[in-house]
Amino acid sequence: MTEQEAIKMVNEVFVDSFEIDPSKLKPEANIFNDLGLDSLDIVDLVVALQKKFGVTLRSDERIRNIRTLGDIHQFIFTLKKELNK
Amino acid sequence: MRVLRIAFLNIYFYLAFVLFSINSFAALGSLFIVLAIILPKRQAFKRLRRMISWYGAVIIRILPFPFVRIDYKDLTDQGQEEGPYLFVCNHRSASDPFLMAIFPYEIIQIVNIWPFRVPFLGFIAKFAGYLSVREIPFEEFFQKSCSLIQQGVSIAVFPEGTRSRNKTLGQFHSAIFRVALETKCAIVPVCITGNELIPPIGSGLLHPGVIKIHRLKKITYDEYSNFSPFKLKNYVRDIIAEEVKLMDQEK
Repeated sequence: MTEQEAIKMVNEVFVDSFEIDPSKLKPEANIFNDLGLDSLDIVDLVVALQKKFGVTLRSDERIRNIRTLGDIHQFIFTLKKELNK
Repeated sequence: MRVLRIAFLNIYFYLAFVLFSINSFAALGSLFIVLAIILPKRQAFKRLRRMISWYGAVIIRILPFPFVRIDYKDLTDQGQEEGPYLFVCNHRSASDPFLMAIFPYEIIQIVNIWPFRVPFLGFIAKFAGYLSVREIPFEEFFQKSCSLIQQGVSIAVFPEGTRSRNKTLGQFHSAIFRVALETKCAIVPVCITGNELIPPIGSGLLHPGVIKIHRLKKITYDEYSNFSPFKLKNYVRDIIAEEVKLMDQEK
């Protein structure tokens, strides 16, 4: 999976599961302040990402450091790369 | 002159507030004990919650009058239907919880931690079933909220979670909207403006003014049944934001 593919698929999750306008999906967008997710929505997001990418995220400590959409792109891309090694 | 008015309002209001609160809590406590003996528990609590609303109505409508006035508009065409409802409000001032007394329903509120720390008031609120969302796990909050609605109790909530420091509507938390989806309860958007200085954030100083409250048309479960919690919270937020903007533009 290329980085661009990871970005595209993560953004699809935000559009499909949260109906967020694609124009708001900028890498620097803060997922809480700019996209409007709260801690409960994050649980829904994790479930949707797990389903989309076929990975387990809940136990991954790195998820706690995520603040922006770009962080999620990077996290998913890195995770998929690690799994494919 | 303005300084004198503010000084008079605050001296008079807080004196009356303390005296009225002490007497109310004594009366409320005694009356509840009697009611709890002669009535089933559910009925006793129903009356306690209504009495708390009357207490709030005196605090916000009578004591600060004529310095602080309430301009309430019911913009629904539904009249006073039976509840329960989820009253979803924007949040600009510490006076907002008292304004919920305007609604003639058995009602509890979802509050932050600080109201429970106010002497007497916090104890009575907790006893009456008000919920401090930050002090209990979500599962417990969810179960208690659903149970209250199923008993016919309306819930007032400020989903921004904290008072906005400017006139921008903050992002909404989704917890109460998950309760709405579970219980199929109708949601009533409520818009409050004019009380940004009654009192301002970080101060207890009341300023004279007119508090506007608009009760908007209810959103029924039929309208939101296929929404996700995220979509529902933003749907309600957009409705409130639009009305609040219009209210702020009015003179």
